[in-house]
Amino acid sequence: MTWMLLIAVTTLFTQCKDSADEVEVDDENELITSVTLTFTEVGTGTVTKFAYKDPDGDGGNAPTKFDTISLKANASYTLTPEFLDESKTPVDNITGEIKEKDFEHLLIYTPSPASLFTYTYGDKDSNNYPVGLTGTVKAGAAGTGKLKVQLRHQPNAKNGTATPGTDDVNLDFNLMIK
Amino acid sequence: MKKYFLLIVSLAIFSVSKAQNADCACFMKGIVRDQHSGQPIIGATVLLEGTTSGVFTDEKGRYEIRNLCPGRYKLEARIVGYNTYRQSIDLTEGHEENFSLEEQEVHLKDVEITAHRTDAPASQPLAILSGNDLEKTRGQSLGESLKGITGVTTMQTGSSISKPVIHGLHSNRVLIMNNGVRQEGQQWGSEHAPEIDPFVATRMSVIKGAAGVRYGSDAIGGVILVEPEELPFNKPLSGEVNMVGFSNGRQGVVSSTLQGGIKGVSGFGWRAQGTIKRGGNIKTPDYFLDNTGISEKNFSLGAGYRNKGFGIDLFYSRFDTKIGIFSGSHIGSITDLLNVINNGEPFIKSGFTYNIGRPNQNVTHDLLKAEAHYHFNDGNRLQWTIAQQINNRNEYDLHVPRNDSIASLNHPELTFKLNTLTNDVIWDHKPIAGKVTGQIGVSSLYQYNLMSGRPLIPNFNQFNIGIFWIERYVKNNWELEAGGRYDYRTLSTHRIVSRQKVSNDFTFSNASGTIGATRNFSQRISARLNAGSAWRAPNVSELFSDGVHHGAAAFERGDSTLRPEKAVNTIASVKYQSERLTIEIGGYFNYLRDFIYLKPQPDPILTVRGAFPYFKYTQTDATFKGIDFSADWELIKHLTLTTKLSYLKAYDTRNDNYLVMIPSNRWDNQLKYSIPELGKWHNLFVSGGNLWVARQKRVPPNSDFSPPPASYSLWNIQAGGTIHVSEKQQLEIGISVTNLFDTVYRDYMNRFRYYSDDIGRNASLRIKWKFGS
Repeated sequence: MTWMLLIAVTTLFTQCKDSADEVEVDDENELITSVTLTFTEVGTGTVTKFAYKDPDGDGGNAPTKFDTISLKANASYTLTPEFLDESKTPVDNITGEIKEKDFEHLLIYTPSPASLFTYTYGDKDSNNYPVGLTGTVKAGAAGTGKLKVQLRHQPNAKNGTATPGTDDVNLDFNLMIK
Repeated sequence: MKKYFLLIVSLAIFSVSKAQNADCACFMKGIVRDQHSGQPIIGATVLLEGTTSGVFTDEKGRYEIRNLCPGRYKLEARIVGYNTYRQSIDLTEGHEENFSLEEQEVHLKDVEITAHRTDAPASQPLAILSGNDLEKTRGQSLGESLKGITGVTTMQTGSSISKPVIHGLHSNRVLIMNNGVRQEGQQWGSEHAPEIDPFVATRMSVIKGAAGVRYGSDAIGGVILVEPEELPFNKPLSGEVNMVGFSNGRQGVVSSTLQGGIKGVSGFGWRAQGTIKRGGNIKTPDYFLDNTGISEKNFSLGAGYRNKGFGIDLFYSRFDTKIGIFSGSHIGSITDLLNVINNGEPFIKSGFTYNIGRPNQNVTHDLLKAEAHYHFNDGNRLQWTIAQQINNRNEYDLHVPRNDSIASLNHPELTFKLNTLTNDVIWDHKPIAGKVTGQIGVSSLYQYNLMSGRPLIPNFNQFNIGIFWIERYVKNNWELEAGGRYDYRTLSTHRIVSRQKVSNDFTFSNASGTIGATRNFSQRISARLNAGSAWRAPNVSELFSDGVHHGAAAFERGDSTLRPEKAVNTIASVKYQSERLTIEIGGYFNYLRDFIYLKPQPDPILTVRGAFPYFKYTQTDATFKGIDFSADWELIKHLTLTTKLSYLKAYDTRNDNYLVMIPSNRWDNQLKYSIPELGKWHNLFVSGGNLWVARQKRVPPNSDFSPPPASYSLWNIQAGGTIHVSEKQQLEIGISVTNLFDTVYRDYMNRFRYYSDDIGRNASLRIKWKFGS
């Protein structure tokens, strides 16, 4: 039995590893920590930006920024969204990756009440379906409500509707038209 | 923590009769011996059912029962640490003819008793799945196989991932002993099924209730023992081939075993076993479930040596599975979940394919075990078991990284590597006064976990040492036992918080105890009562979770101040057994102090995918009380009705509320017609049955996205039999259909009940070819 004891002891020591030495940085490949909506007023060219930021991702600290979108009544804007993963160094630009894979992504802007503004897609993917990385917003009369911004991830299923796929972003911004 | 072993006890039965007094002059005598050591077993109880009292084997292992009248007897041998053995003995006139009038001993026959050693407390209910009952479950996963046992249900993630639930408790509250070694995988996860190939086992037992003294931490709800047969020492080559085909998922399973001794070399035995399983998309009554295939390749090797009192066994097994996760269960936000619930069926439609895409799990589990034991001449026995387990779990999400160059590497989004070493030394002391036996043991465990990918749980190192002592006293019809245990555990966790490494150290310790009694009132009625305790240290996910659990659409946060959970379980059962009727009824009351659960918090947590309901790991006190009832009733010759009822009520006593994810009550009925012999066929049977599962009405209000599913009733049929092809070859054939009427249903304990219906009709064909023995 002595030899077994030896084997046991040897195994025990060679296997004793400190898991502290191998702690890896979290790597969540679909993480989006920041969503910025840039509204450029048609005519004046005035740029306003509204953002949601949660730099450490889900959990940990609460989101640091969640702006109220404020637009002028009856004005027209071009809307371009920007998505970043700021937990990575360098910052990961998700917008570019969405553009590359535009045939599997769809952005949906849903104001409620619906009268607050109307959105018109300004881009199309290779299958002639809308994407929503650029588009125009026509604000309605003054009022307050919400704007739901959804980034739908629809690999191999995009058909121009919201149904397929799942949400990569689903944010309800407060919306104020004045 | 220790391997069961088989023991062959040989009882020689003698009968003598005198011409003048042929009535009651028969006797039986023999020796109870341990096959490994050849040593006699002292203090074993030998009883004849229906006679006044039993006898004990003497210091040479001998027993003798005198003054027996001719007739049929049931001989019962009870040896501490072994299951009760029963054998029918015929001392009728037929045999008397062989006896001459001369006064001499006539050798009737040698009875080979194979007694399984189980360390289970004798006073706790032990349900065993072996032989034909086990054969019927072949091809299914471990969790599914155990479902037929009263009080045992499953928690599922779709149709391919199922975890055993004992008396409403599961995951880290159920301990699995795989071939004598405590299974250390990633049990904490509800979608992490036990990494064990059921084909390794010829016997699966469930100890119901807390059994922490003998088995250590986690044995709160119960213990599952997965045990292979004893190695075939000095036996000729034999083997078996099992083939199972299932219509649903067009799944095929092949498993073979080859075993034997080594010719000319005494004391050796070996076994090699392997299983291949492949299945495709599962079909509900109305549609296929996309990406629900499975691929599994497992094997095990065992070898051992016995010489007098010394024995050594080596065992290696590898479990390797790839399981597709139903793609329609992937959600990004609450909106996605509510949409699929409202739709009533998955948005993703699919046909049949064997391909396994994303999401999927790829898990390997390696176990290497060495066990040595020695029986001392004086009756003491020492056993030493060391084992290493390496659990490697890779989880692939539905979406590949957006960045093509990273995506092309096809790395899993989540990886766990858990490495565990266990070491157990157990000493069975020699019987004291022929009545008191017991064992003392020391068990240690060392493990570390390495993780990468999506943040979920930290890296950790864990060390545990436990010491226990159990004594058992057997007298007449009483069997009493008592034991205690102390455990000490340290845990160090390491994780990255805001790009800084943060380490935390924890120590946990606990004392557990058990006390129990078994009483045989008559040859038909026996009762047992046991009060046992067990504990469980909070696991790393309960301490450190912090994020959205996508399967549950919940934001879960751990609490690093959690204390260990403790259970005190009282369990009583009464068994009545006659020739045509067997009834067993058991009641239990399990009180869990500091029960860890996810408590809903008032405000949701905002994430980039929207707000998620917020749950925090919190402690409360809970009670789990229930009744297990089972009966076998031979209505007319060959026609048997089996009925099993499981009733469970779980309650959060501190908050005066129900608990979530508790299995609902169920009632299982089977009618079986057996034909013992028909030409070349043996053990032919046809059976049909119904399983009725109630709706879970006892749920906390507003605790769920959709209410618990309705009750359901499923019908099934089976038939089977054995043909003896030749003296050394036999063929067993079985067919069965589950969910016979393709009933549409959803089960409360299936986490995919939000997304899809449960599995539809499934017909299977099972063929087993046994050769060589």
